[in-house]
Amino acid sequence: MMKVNVTISGNTAIIGVQGRIDTITAGEFEASLLPLTEKHAHLVVDCSQLDYISSSGLRVFLMAQKKLTATAGKLRLCNLQPTIREIFDISGFSSIFAIYPDLQSASQ
Amino acid sequence: MHIVFSILPVLLFLTGLFLLDSFKLVSKSRLGLCIFWGVISALISYYLNTWLNSQLTIGFATFSRYLAPITEELSKILIVFFLISRKKIGFAVDAAVYGFAAGAGFALAENVFYMFALGHQPGLVVWILRGFGTALMHGGCTALFAIILIDGIQRDKHLILAVIPGFLTAIILHSGFNHFFLNPYIQTALIFIVLPLVFMLVFQKSNNSLQDWLEIEFSHEVELLRMMQQGKFAHTKAGDYLMSLRKHFSSEAIVDLYNYISVYLELSIKAKRNMMLKENGFPLIVEPDIGAKLEELKQLRRQIGKIGELALQPLVRMKHREIWKLNQLKN
Repeated sequence: MMKVNVTISGNTAIIGVQGRIDTITAGEFEASLLPLTEKHAHLVVDCSQLDYISSSGLRVFLMAQKKLTATAGKLRLCNLQPTIREIFDISGFSSIFAIYPDLQSASQ
Repeated sequence: MHIVFSILPVLLFLTGLFLLDSFKLVSKSRLGLCIFWGVISALISYYLNTWLNSQLTIGFATFSRYLAPITEELSKILIVFFLISRKKIGFAVDAAVYGFAAGAGFALAENVFYMFALGHQPGLVVWILRGFGTALMHGGCTALFAIILIDGIQRDKHLILAVIPGFLTAIILHSGFNHFFLNPYIQTALIFIVLPLVFMLVFQKSNNSLQDWLEIEFSHEVELLRMMQQGKFAHTKAGDYLMSLRKHFSSEAIVDLYNYISVYLELSIKAKRNMMLKENGFPLIVEPDIGAKLEELKQLRRQIGKIGELALQPLVRMKHREIWKLNQLKN
């Protein structure tokens, strides 16, 4: 189960993601996230309600990052729960993505 | 113009296959090596076929139908066999590309040789048939051998036993082509239509299998390593299993087994992360300690021995794909 909530603020899209991004929901997440990379220069993904992320979810983040980098945009992740943060740290993805402690610092 | 039609199709096809490799499993240097080997294998086959033909009195037609496919396929597949035995090929995608490259190198050398030997004697149609038919057949047969071989290896067949079905397939297809059961135009058209479809299906299946493999293993491995780093490994099923081994192993051996799991997980996660980064065109993260970690794993593997490895199989498999995955970190 996964829910995505999008709020637009100027040229930044704030995406609140809730639940799990796994092999079943990754396609849906990709369909929600990637079109936003074409319309907005910056994306902030609020992960405060993200309970689980698998490799499929990480690949969607990579795809979004790649698209935004090509247009000099930025993908920022914020409010990662400790277990999700650990997944990023253990896999080494923390150095790939811009991770912020809260929505306010990520939106600046 | 003749050379363009006889050489270009197979090179374009190879380029297409290389570009379809979305996870960038194929290394350019190994691809070059396979093409080079293809050229060498054409030379070996030429001299071997010439010698065999002079020793036997079976006539050129019979020789080209029954013996040439064996010698030519045998010489082409050696490079694929070498790469697979060295755990440099992990999935059907890279197997197909390397195999096709060896066949392409063979066809290039063969067509260039014929061009020098025959000059412009045969018409353009012959070179088109050679370029679109014979050359793609050579690439296709070796690629099919490689696909079938890696599939056999993944099914835990012994390397030698896994070779036989692929080798027979390559020989039968090659021999069938040389029989000209069909009109050469129809035969060439069939190859030109069927081969891309076969590759598309194989690539799709291989990519799905790669994604499933990443999905299932990655999350499980990250979770297990997370528990280990938090000192909660004993509370997991894997921890329970390791504890159960205390009846059979000394305390020192259990520590080695624990460290082996930990180092393996760390390296495996990094290898998979790199694959995801390559898929999306990101530069790989440079980690200076990777070499030391790989060496540590090698030492630990030696220390736990075959029995330790077998005991750990429910937690850590060290089969072809696992070794291939770790080899990716050396690049």
